[in-house]
Amino acid sequence: MAQVDERIRKVGFVEGLLRRPELGSIFGLIIVVVAYMLLTGPINVAAGHKNTFFDMWQSPVGVQAWVELTAYIGIIGIAAALLMISGEFDLSIGANVALGGHTLAMMVLAGVPLPLAILVTIGLMLAVGAATGLLVVTTGLPSFIVTLGFWFANRGFANYLAFRVHDTSRLDIKKQLEESKVLQDGAVVELPDPTWIDDVFAFKDGFFGIEVSWLFLNAEVYYFVIVALVAIYVLNFSKVGNWIFASGGDPVAARAVGVPVSRVKVGLFMMSAVLSGFLGIIFVLSSGVSDPLAGDFRELHAIAAAVIGGSALTGGYGTVIGAILGALIFSIVQIGIRFVPLIDNNMFRVIVGMMLLGAALLNQFIRDRVVKG
Amino acid sequence: MNQSATIEIRGVSKFFGNIIALKDVSFEVMKGEVTALLGDNGAGKSTLIKTLAGVHKPSEGEIFIDGKQVNFSSPRDAASAGIGVVYQDLALQPLMSVTRNFFLGREMTNLGFLDFKSMDAITRAEMAKIGIDVADPSQPIGTMSGGQRQTLAIARAIYFGAKILILDEPTSALGQKQQLEVLRTIKKVKDRGDLAIVFITHNDLHAKLIGDRFAFLNRGRILEYGSRQDIDLDNIRALMAGGAELAELEEEFKE
Repeated sequence: MAQVDERIRKVGFVEGLLRRPELGSIFGLIIVVVAYMLLTGPINVAAGHKNTFFDMWQSPVGVQAWVELTAYIGIIGIAAALLMISGEFDLSIGANVALGGHTLAMMVLAGVPLPLAILVTIGLMLAVGAATGLLVVTTGLPSFIVTLGFWFANRGFANYLAFRVHDTSRLDIKKQLEESKVLQDGAVVELPDPTWIDDVFAFKDGFFGIEVSWLFLNAEVYYFVIVALVAIYVLNFSKVGNWIFASGGDPVAARAVGVPVSRVKVGLFMMSAVLSGFLGIIFVLSSGVSDPLAGDFRELHAIAAAVIGGSALTGGYGTVIGAILGALIFSIVQIGIRFVPLIDNNMFRVIVGMMLLGAALLNQFIRDRVVKG
Repeated sequence: MNQSATIEIRGVSKFFGNIIALKDVSFEVMKGEVTALLGDNGAGKSTLIKTLAGVHKPSEGEIFIDGKQVNFSSPRDAASAGIGVVYQDLALQPLMSVTRNFFLGREMTNLGFLDFKSMDAITRAEMAKIGIDVADPSQPIGTMSGGQRQTLAIARAIYFGAKILILDEPTSALGQKQQLEVLRTIKKVKDRGDLAIVFITHNDLHAKLIGDRFAFLNRGRILEYGSRQDIDLDNIRALMAGGAELAELEEEFKE
């Protein structure tokens, strides 16, 4: 006869909610949205400024700005969250955005057909991620240190090469292709730019010829939706998700029951590098320019989104949805400041910093409730 | 012995360089019985566990399972031969749910999705079999008591095919009440009759309660070995402390 366990009880809806790791970010999102709605509308008017409520929350330009930033921070935030749950950090995310963009741009400038250039860039990013991950799992060095090394090296190397070959670290694909046409003295150079590339990476003229009026957003927004869905599936509904949690929670215990901890971690570093490089590709193809400062400091924004979203720095705990909400909070705060003259632009970092601390405290409280019941 | 042992350890020694960790260790464990392996810290208990679990290869001696000699080259080998070790730290993840812990590394999936419905049902059923009713298997195990976690680790080992259960000090890090809970669990497992249990402990009272056979390990050697009838249970405590050494100490203190 089974003895009834008096120590496990059913929890009510409110208490169940208080245990959700996303709680802190839901709370933060409500505060931020309400605050900016008031600031752009009534408070702006009361202070004698223009009412910018419509501009920020309803105009295509305003919505586009924070939705696209959410997608950007969201993609790398998800990568940061999954890594953090597995117990690791990736500080080289921003550098890999630049490395991916520069790799693609330099190959295009060297005459490599665009489809091949994209494949090679993705292959390179996979290799960079694998190298980073293998270095972490084989040496036992903290990933903070290993990826700090790559934070310096990856962007530095990309800019060094660009400077050596093209005398500038800002690579303008369109312009230089035009120039090389002139230099080749009349010889016609095929622009390596089939229209499907534009469809896939820039969404300039609808999607594969389909004219859709709402497709005014940049490509990263649609990829963000795909990445988010895949990540939610992997973390919460697949075997690998179980292994990710266990690798971060207690790697020794995880190995003891046969979880391939090292493979999980290396795989996540590869995912992180590929997503970063992929963003670099999208930026270059949609703007025609590879910026040496692309993604600068974005790794910290990604980590902030993950932390605001409830991921534990110590690993073993966190959610994808939380990271997405963290990214949304982050971009509303950053973009919203443009529409509120009362808040100085420099205050952006102050607000983000305070929110990060508040969220971290709240999340710690939630985690304690989960463990102690 | 009128009954063939499920696992028999015959003359096993383990040397690390010039260190003799185990010397000529022999004992048996029968189906449906508990062999209590007693020993103080440093007696060689963990070396013995690791040797049985396939982590170490014995330097000398043989191990037989169901009469057949076995040679483990990895923990995976030992596990597939039916050896299930429940380590003291249990290999559990406190922030993960009961079900996720139970199936960690051996998850059930349906079309690529974790099959929580089946896994929850199995977890509840297996836990109930050895005495704990888990109301909500999606609860993190951080909310469970130490005794319940121990039960979870035992239930998991059994469900995944352990025929010989090696329990590494299952009662040592627990409070009084929870120790009894775990002993009750071990009794339930023993009463199933199809599992051989090695119960490693330094608590003589617990060993006396549940053991059928007793082996005393001291400085890497078996000091005494026998069944309940063969052995003077009151002498256990003295043996635990190394018998003669204790007597010497007594003399020393008198002076």
